[in-house]
Amino acid sequence: MTDTIRDAAFDAVVLAALPHVVRFARSLAHDDALADDLVQETYLRAYRSWDTFTPGADARRWLFTICRNVFLRLRERDARVVDTSGDDAELESLAAAVEHGQALRSGYGDLLDRIDVAPAIRAALAQVPEVYRSAVILVDVEGNSYEAAAEVLGVPVGTVRSRLFRARRLLQQSLFTHAVDAGIVRGATPPGPGAGR
Amino acid sequence: MSSADTDVPALIDCETAVRALYDFLDGRLSDATTDAVQHHVETCRNCASHFVFARRLLDLVPAALPLGGEAGQLRMRIVEALKADGYSRS
Repeated sequence: MTDTIRDAAFDAVVLAALPHVVRFARSLAHDDALADDLVQETYLRAYRSWDTFTPGADARRWLFTICRNVFLRLRERDARVVDTSGDDAELESLAAAVEHGQALRSGYGDLLDRIDVAPAIRAALAQVPEVYRSAVILVDVEGNSYEAAAEVLGVPVGTVRSRLFRARRLLQQSLFTHAVDAGIVRGATPPGPGAGR
Repeated sequence: MSSADTDVPALIDCETAVRALYDFLDGRLSDATTDAVQHHVETCRNCASHFVFARRLLDLVPAALPLGGEAGQLRMRIVEALKADGYSRS
């Protein structure tokens, strides 16, 4: 394959995924400048490894894997401080429902109708530790299957499931807290971590 | 979970239903369990509110994180960096 054909293929397959990689990098980095550096480094590594890419494979998944690996190396120490032991997916589902019930009783169960929800979700996601946030981005935002997300994250499918459910509950908790902080509800206390356990 | 009559969803309690909340919303339950959860949610107003809230929240998440756009300037920056590695296009 000539360099021109090789580069044209890279262009069509890899550069075409740039908006998705930018979104993924921003969700990891929470800093546009850092995210741009992350994306650039992802593309450099992808270009250098392009000969190892299997034609027809999922380029987006490949790029997400590279991007996250680069990010984790940049943030290696932070990535290690989150204790993910003891995750229980069903308990996360149960706790989310219990916390929603508490929110209903506190008068802010309809918060999704009462807040500027998009910025609130972005801010709430920023509070979710990266190991959990990545599961939400890959599954709920990018629409990957649990199996595809597991491949990107390098963990078993069951771990993706438990991290995803934890992330969703943390996101919900953060939105409840946001509702109180924004003065939407006065005098109510949002459910704290571990509520419902 | 099983039912002697496959046309009749198994009866489950609220805790079982909400433990299955996210698996249900993600379509990862067996047909029989899906039917049981669906039946419970349709007949339990309390659980229905949890499921509706969770479904709505999950629907709102992708909309809150739009794609990175054309990323024109960043694309140019990446292309320039790639050229240093031998990339031939512009």
